Amino acid sequence: MKNYQLAWRNLWRNKRRTLITAASVFFAVFFALVMRSFQLGTYEKMYRDVIESYSGYLQLQHSDYLDESNLDNGFVPEQSLTDIIEADPNVTGVIPKLESFALAAAGSRTRGVMVIGMDPDNEQKTLNIKNRLIKYRLTPDATEALKGENLPSRTAKLVDVFSGEAWTDEKSLISDLGIGDDDSAAVMPLFRKYASLDNRYLTSADSGRAVIGYGLSRYLSADVGDTLVVMGQGYHGVSAAGLFVIKGIVSMPNPEIDNAFVYITLADAQYLYAAPEMVTSAIISISDTDDRELLQTQQRLSASCNDGLVIRNWKEMNALLLNQMEADNKSGAIMIGILYLVIAFGVSGTVLMMMAERRREFGMLVSIGMQKRKLAGIVSMEMLFIGLLGVLAGIAASLPIVYYGYARPLRFTGELAKMYEEYGFEAVMPMHLPDTYYLWQAAIVLLILLIAITFSVRRIFKLNIINAIRA
Amino acid sequence: MKVVEINDVFKTYHDTEVEVKAVNGVTLSFEKGDFAVIVGPSGSGKTTLLNLIGGLDQPTAGEIIVAGHRLSELKPSELIDFRMEHVGFVFQSYNLIPVLTASENVGFIMSLQKWPKEKRMARTGELLEAVGLSDRHSSRPAQLSGGQQQRVAVARALAPRPQFILADEPTANLDTKSAETLLDIMEKLNRGEEMTFIFSTHDARVVKRARRVITLEDGKVVSDERTNHTS
Ligand SMILES: Nc1ncnc2c1ncn2[C@@H]1O[C@H](COP(=O)(O)OP(=O)(O)O)[C@@H](O)[C@H]1O
Ligand SMILES: [Mg+2]
Repeated sequence: MKNYQLAWRNLWRNKRRTLITAASVFFAVFFALVMRSFQLGTYEKMYRDVIESYSGYLQLQHSDYLDESNLDNGFVPEQSLTDIIEADPNVTGVIPKLESFALAAAGSRTRGVMVIGMDPDNEQKTLNIKNRLIKYRLTPDATEALKGENLPSRTAKLVDVFSGEAWTDEKSLISDLGIGDDDSAAVMPLFRKYASLDNRYLTSADSGRAVIGYGLSRYLSADVGDTLVVMGQGYHGVSAAGLFVIKGIVSMPNPEIDNAFVYITLADAQYLYAAPEMVTSAIISISDTDDRELLQTQQRLSASCNDGLVIRNWKEMNALLLNQMEADNKSGAIMIGILYLVIAFGVSGTVLMMMAERRREFGMLVSIGMQKRKLAGIVSMEMLFIGLLGVLAGIAASLPIVYYGYARPLRFTGELAKMYEEYGFEAVMPMHLPDTYYLWQAAIVLLILLIAITFSVRRIFKLNIINAIRA
Repeated sequence: MKVVEINDVFKTYHDTEVEVKAVNGVTLSFEKGDFAVIVGPSGSGKTTLLNLIGGLDQPTAGEIIVAGHRLSELKPSELIDFRMEHVGFVFQSYNLIPVLTASENVGFIMSLQKWPKEKRMARTGELLEAVGLSDRHSSRPAQLSGGQQQRVAVARALAPRPQFILADEPTANLDTKSAETLLDIMEKLNRGEEMTFIFSTHDARVVKRARRVITLEDGKVVSDERTNHTS
């Protein structure tokens, strides 16, 4: 009889207790993994979206621009520097950008906005804001009109729920509104009729045209074709004013950006702000965005900078966002810590209870010649089996949920969504596919189990045989 | 040939306020092939004496020598190995490992001693046959009666051929018929295997069958008689 065989049989002596203990490990692992997956997925989406559609991983800036982001800290980029940067093996493009604050008005409403001037052809090579053009949106009118039509009841209900939302592609519209394959032929023409948007993108040749964020368009009640009045302060205090016809509406991932996004051509921006040739920064897009490679690229490029110019990475530029995530991450870790503490106590409790029940048997086994360390090994193995059972079941049960949550991110609507957006989060929570964090969680749980087991099993070494067999 | 020598052994417990002299100056020896019973009223020190002989406990004073080993010289883990190699134990109850079958229980100590599987199986079969349970190889303890469980325990104790078998009140929980059967088996093995049996009891049925009766009172040997009856 091998130790593990004996341990395996002992496991099933008290089936219910074994299963309850395994279940407690299971739930803790399951919830920890699902929670972690949500957290990591949300962080990743948050910063990836902001970086990839807006700030880029690296930027060339004047050293003072980070603290005082205004035109006076702008610069005139030299072609020789741009050439050097573009020649770096990890750099895929350099996008000069002029960005400044302004007031924008359409009709009777006014709002503070970020005017961003970039060359559209140049920008499209990397940022791909064009993908964010809205194809469908549920304006109040569209919602009313659609409800008047003969929609499948599920879709009719969801039209109400998603009223006010916008979609950049048909697939997500179909999935959000629960339009089945059978209905799509009948329903989609209705959506095309009432809810689609004829949306165009900027070209480099455009002048007096703007693409704005969906949030801003809603706030200003401004639509494609309307004119936006932009007023601000130009270079060295010159007053800046301009008229821009809205050519397209995009959905930017971060609500703060979406509510203030006005994109015009670089030439228009330089004219508007009376800052010919000037930019406030240049987005440097790179192919390998891994932390280490990123820092190395930053170092390489920094070496070529002078005249007060520096290379900033996304972490330096988004300190606020990072702090926010860091704080959230900590609170998540504390939650998981508590969950695991509960497992530790649960498992210790089971070990102690089981050892108390089997005291007499342990006394007998040591009497007839089983070494205490062998006995301790068997008991530890029993508990480890229970723990592994819980961990493996927890991992197995979390996988389908995590994969589903990755493929179809949880999306909040209504009040909850508003709450999220007020905090500056997009109301979409994708999950993060399993990678090292799964291994980490499993390793941590096993470590905790080992500690709990060792702690409890030590009692075997103190067992007084005479008392144990007399009991 | 002497299997066990006990020289002026004392065992004092002071768990509580009062001191209890559980074994109070015992000198005894057991010969190979003995079929000896220790009798005496409850609390007279029978269990304590057996525990000392079996190396489960150390005396407060005095010396116990088993098969050439001075037990006081052994470290705790050496004592465990000593018991595995030289002593067979049969307790009053809860003898068997509940998750193992009868034959696995009988083979248990042999497998601790790393007997090769073939030899172990053969010995197990032989002993289960000897205790009249050759049809119960794969029964778990819970499926056996109290008497059958004690017979499996005897077979397990005997299997690796220890120096002697210690049985503390082995019939205490058995009905008359099962007790008689167990005693028959032990006598048969005592003769057939030349196995030394030392047991304690206050059961008249057991005393009647013994060839040597040692009487304890208050931790002292008050009589040690050899009866030459054969049953
Ligand atoms: N572990 C112990 N701790 C304290 N006192 C004990 C212990 N074991 C036995 N005794 C005491 O020693 C005396 C002898 O006990 P025991 O050997 O069990 O007698 P018997 O087996 O003849 O009934 C009793 O008074 C008992 O209470
Ligand atoms: Mg007793």
